[in-house]
Parts: sequence; structure tokens; C-alpha cells
Amino acid sequence: MEDKEERIETSLVAIVIDATPAKKFASQPLDGSSMMNRIFDSMIAFGNAHLMQASHNKLAIVACNSKSTKFLYPSMDGTSRSYHNRPGQYDMFAKVDSDVRHGLGELILNDLTNNDSTKSDSLLGGAMARALCYIHRVQRELSLSHQLKPRILVVSGSCDSALQYMTFMNVFFTAQKENVVIDCCMMDTDSGLLQQGCDITGGQYLHIPSIAGLLEYLLWVFLPSPSCRSKIVLPPPAKVDYRAACFCHHKLVDIGWVCSVCLSIFCKFSIMCTTCNTEFKLNRPAIVPAKSKKRARIE
Amino acid sequence: MADEDETKEYRWESGYEKTWEAIKEDDDGLLESNVAELVARAKRKRAALKASGAIQLGMMRHLFVIVDSSECMFLQDLKPTRFLCVLKLLEVFVHEFFDLNPISQLGILTTKLKRSDKITVLAGNQKKHIEALQHLKDLSCEGEPSLQNSLERAMNGLKNMPAHSSREILVLFGSLTTCDPGDIQKTIKSLKDNNIRVSIIGLAAEVRICREIAKKTGGTYNVLIDDHHLKELILSQVQPPAVAGSIEASLVKMGFPGGTPTLNDGTSDSSADHAPAYCLCHIDSETSSLMGPNGYNCPQCGSRYCELPVECKQCGLTLVSAPHLARSYHHLFPIKPFVERAQVPDATHCFACAKLFVEAETNVYECENCNQIVCLDCDLFIRETLHTCPGCASDPVTAQMKTN
Repeated sequence: MEDKEERIETSLVAIVIDATPAKKFASQPLDGSSMMNRIFDSMIAFGNAHLMQASHNKLAIVACNSKSTKFLYPSMDGTSRSYHNRPGQYDMFAKVDSDVRHGLGELILNDLTNNDSTKSDSLLGGAMARALCYIHRVQRELSLSHQLKPRILVVSGSCDSALQYMTFMNVFFTAQKENVVIDCCMMDTDSGLLQQGCDITGGQYLHIPSIAGLLEYLLWVFLPSPSCRSKIVLPPPAKVDYRAACFCHHKLVDIGWVCSVCLSIFCKFSIMCTTCNTEFKLNRPAIVPAKSKKRARIE
Repeated sequence: MADEDETKEYRWESGYEKTWEAIKEDDDGLLESNVAELVARAKRKRAALKASGAIQLGMMRHLFVIVDSSECMFLQDLKPTRFLCVLKLLEVFVHEFFDLNPISQLGILTTKLKRSDKITVLAGNQKKHIEALQHLKDLSCEGEPSLQNSLERAMNGLKNMPAHSSREILVLFGSLTTCDPGDIQKTIKSLKDNNIRVSIIGLAAEVRICREIAKKTGGTYNVLIDDHHLKELILSQVQPPAVAGSIEASLVKMGFPGGTPTLNDGTSDSSADHAPAYCLCHIDSETSSLMGPNGYNCPQCGSRYCELPVECKQCGLTLVSAPHLARSYHHLFPIKPFVERAQVPDATHCFACAKLFVEAETNVYECENCNQIVCLDCDLFIRETLHTCPGCASDPVTAQMKTN
């Protein structure tokens, strides 16, 4: 029996692009245009493809590098820029295209100041947090006749940042609570943290073998919404490594010692916890005095 | 009338408290936005009090829930009956409790006919408790409750728990009387000696002995006003409480199953790890099935389990996964409350959600660390759900976690 009031399903995709310039990408030419250009072109094509699926669909794009994060679409600039669309092109596609290119240009130019900045990690956690806040706002502002189905797609080529562990985990648990699915498309390296995130929220994790086919992978794997993914043949899920890293050496441990006060994990038994400075009681087994055998016989 | 009476007047002498003046209509004649603002302000005040961060919280909790199933629970002042309303809310409570405290354990007791009955033993498995609560709906409420019997039973269960865990009892008491076999003061004393904290939620009226129990053991006693208030009171027990008295800290040995086959640190992956095997969690039940390679193996003894967290039946090692522990980390690194400011002309959009600030919004909120401005809704969202400031996470200096 169908409900008489069917709510319109609005699908919102928030794309989080990691624009940290790895030197090998920026300089490698491919068919005349550099790899970075091709990656960003694929992003814009994917975003427009999503908007094309249904008129209610919404899109958001956040970019980050090692210095800052930025909302590319919807643009936070107060001034409305003039954009020319090709004849017959849907206005919104031209707006997305123009906003993203302009925003990316600003973001990359901000990073040109100091070459040492490429050594610090990419601020993916912050970008995902902003995407979540945006999703939360859209959910509040949407009228009751619409039902929002949000998801986040992370496109990145950077390795895990162990120091941003807390931010990532907070983002994953918040996404799980808000029913946001996190998908991840990794170029070049694998990321254990993002694998865990995709597993926790029920999303798809994919490590792309060749970057030239990025658009193909995006349209095949990540364009369908989570509800119809069960009907499509998708790459099999990766086995996620849920072991914890010890706080002292950042090595993965099978069996660890956990402080009962602050829940920090250590690989070896020690007398004091380094995180919360509590001293641990050494549990010695109680020494039972040996009963004399003569007494036992008399009794 | 003497002038000194003016400061301390009786209610009937003083003027009317014009509480309706606190609520004002906005320009369109609507009250909604105003009420929402008042609620938001109250929430911010409470959150600001909580975020001091210097209190030690009991993370590993062993909690017994005692549900009164005596005659008075059939009264219909809470719809449909007190008992059914409480059971429904307890299901929500169990779900939230394990969500927020994944390595804790819960047990359920009921009390009726001057005795107490055990519904579920202390366990960390959410589904068993929710199933038991659903079966409880058919229970008939009769007789008198016995506070002492149920507290003694819960205490027997908690006595043997390790010293580093936080031992708690939550009583949902609907009766105004209790029928006890002995001296309840002795029970209170032994509860206190065992470091057990008892919190009571009264469903009828305030009972003096309940107030005394809660006070002496360091718990809370509240009497509900209506069913929404009851939901709030029950859900307030979900947050880990501040440590009562001295809890011995110790290092607990835990296992983290679920490693990947290709490892760099020398641990071997035998094919036995992924071979089909019977899982130990269902081995007692008649419908146990052969598990595929999708289980978790205990790193110490190799037994297979379907889901985590679980205590290994063979070697006694607690098995958890890293996200279970990470869920509680946000209590240890709370974010400082944001500073409320008047609108700044520089910041036109909220940093977190890219919303344009309109003239009607008088106050914006600023993070002290990164100086980014967010709107009221994002402030609440960040404080209650996200537990990370997006501004601090987007700044390369503050984004890195402070480790030694």
C-alpha cells in the first residue's frame, strides 16, 4: 500500500576534493592538459551529472589543501559573478563550472607562498566537517514535503594523517548519526581511516588503478544513490583494518593495554598513563599463606 | 507593613509574575522563532556548564536498571499505562546507551510481589536487552515493590565487577511505598562501601527514602512532570557521569581483532583465520550456523565471533574495535564554548554552513582558537553532535592533535 503523501526524495551530494598538489600530478602532462586539470574537469562533470538526475537534486563542493578549506559551490562570495553559458546549456551547469574554477584558482594561489607547506597534511577532516554542517543546514531548511538523502563523496590522493584522527572519527560518528553515507575515491594511495569511515557509514570505498579513467569510475560507482546500489554490480568491499594504533609508537596492535580513565591504548604495560597522568595499581595476586598439613589432618 | 517584608513576600502578597511577557511576537506575528531561540539559549547554557573538561568521567560503566512492576504501574497517568510508557522509553535508552558507551554493560531487573526478578544479566549486547524489553510488555504488574530486595540483587551483581569500572544503578520507581525485609540503612551503607551510585527517577511523587538513597550514594533523584520530562530524565543518564569517590585506575588488557592479510609488522595470517568456523556467540543456541570468513578472531585464543564488542568466552579477553573506544574520546577533548558576539561586517557567511547572515540574526558565535564565525544552529550542531570545531580543523596549526 503506497502512502498517499509520498515525500519527494532530494539527493544531496557533497563532494570533498583534496586539492593538495602532489608534485608528480602537477607536472605530468596527459593529452596536452595536465593531470590536475583533468581531475577537476572530471569533478565538475560528475557534479553536473548528479544535478541532471533529478530537478530536486542538490550539490555542494568543498575543496581543501594543506593550508585551508573552501566552499567552492555554493560560493561564499557576496558578489555574483557573470558567467557565460554555451547556447543550450543549463544555467546551473555553467554556474557550477564557473564557481568551481574560480574557487579552485583562489585556493591554489593562496598556497603558493610557502613551499614547506606541502609537507604538512591535507585538511580533509575540516573540509568534511564543513560539508556535514552544510548538510545539517539544508536538512533544516528543506520543506516537509521533501526528504533529504545526503551523501559525501571524498576524492583524495593523500595518505592518512594520524594527527587528525580525532577529527576524522568525530566526523564519521556524526555522519552515522545523521544518516549520511560517506563514499571515498582514492587515487594513488590507500587510506585506512577513510576505509573505516566508509564501513561505519555504509558507503563505498574504491582505490582507482588509473587516474586517466577517473570520470568513468565516478559515474559508474558513485553516481547511483545508496538505495539502488544493491541492484548494481559494484567493486567488492575492502577488508577494513579495525585494529587500533597505540598512542606511544602509532603502531597497529592486536592486543593492547587500555587505560580505564582516558581509554588511551598502549602496547606495553606501564606504570603511568601518559595521556591522563594517572598511576596504575599493579594487580598482584593475593599471597595465600600455606595451610599447615597437620591441622588439616586433625580436622 | 514593615519595609523588611518587601524583600521576602509571600506569593499571595507579591504582584503577579508576568511570565507571558518573556515571550514576544516577532514582526510577522509568529511565536515560533522566538520559542526556538529560548530553547536554544537554554541548551547553550547547559552545554556551557558541561564543557569544563576537568572532571574525570567513568567510561566503562556497569549499569543495572530496576523497573518497578508493582500494581501502581498500571495507572494511566502516562499513556497508555505507566509501565508501557517506561518500557518504550527504555528501549530508546538502551540504544543510546550503547551508542555512547560501547564498552559498557547493562542489566535489567524488575520488582513486584515484594521480590525482585532478573530479566537480563549484565551484558554488552544491545539486541538481547531490547528483545527482553519487548517481551516484558506482556508482564502483569501486581503486588508491592521491594526497594531493598532489588537493590541487594543489583549489588550482588555489581560487587564482582572490576574496580576500575563505574558501578551504577538506575531505579524507575512508580510507587509511594516499599516493602522491605530488613533495614534499608544497612543496604545503603553497603552500597556506599562498594562505590555503587544509585540514581532514582520517581514517577509519582517525591519519596523521602529515595532522596536519601540518592544523596548518600552520590546519585540523582528526580520526579517527572510529564512524559517529555521523563524522556529527558532517562536520556540524561546516558552521558557518562563524573567519577564518584575514588575509582582505581588500571590498565585493562583488550584485544583488537580484524587485521588485514597483508601486514608489515610480521604477524602471520594463517588460513585458519578466514576459514569457515562456528562462532562462539551462537554456539549454545539451537540455530547456530556455520560462519563464513566474515567473523572476528580473538587474537589470544583464536575463537570466532560475529560481532564486537564481546568478551571472549574461552580466554576472557575483552574484544573491541578501535571505533568503539574512539566514540568516547570526544569527552576527553571537549571544545571550549563559543563566544557570543554582535554581527561583524567582515563575516557575511557562516563559516560552517555557508549561510548568509541576515539582519534579523543579532548574535553570531566565534571560536576562541581559530576566530571563525558560525551561526546559532551550527553552534548547537557542533556542540551536541559534531564535537569538532570546523574552523580549528581547517587551520593547519590547530588541526593537528596534541600528542606528547
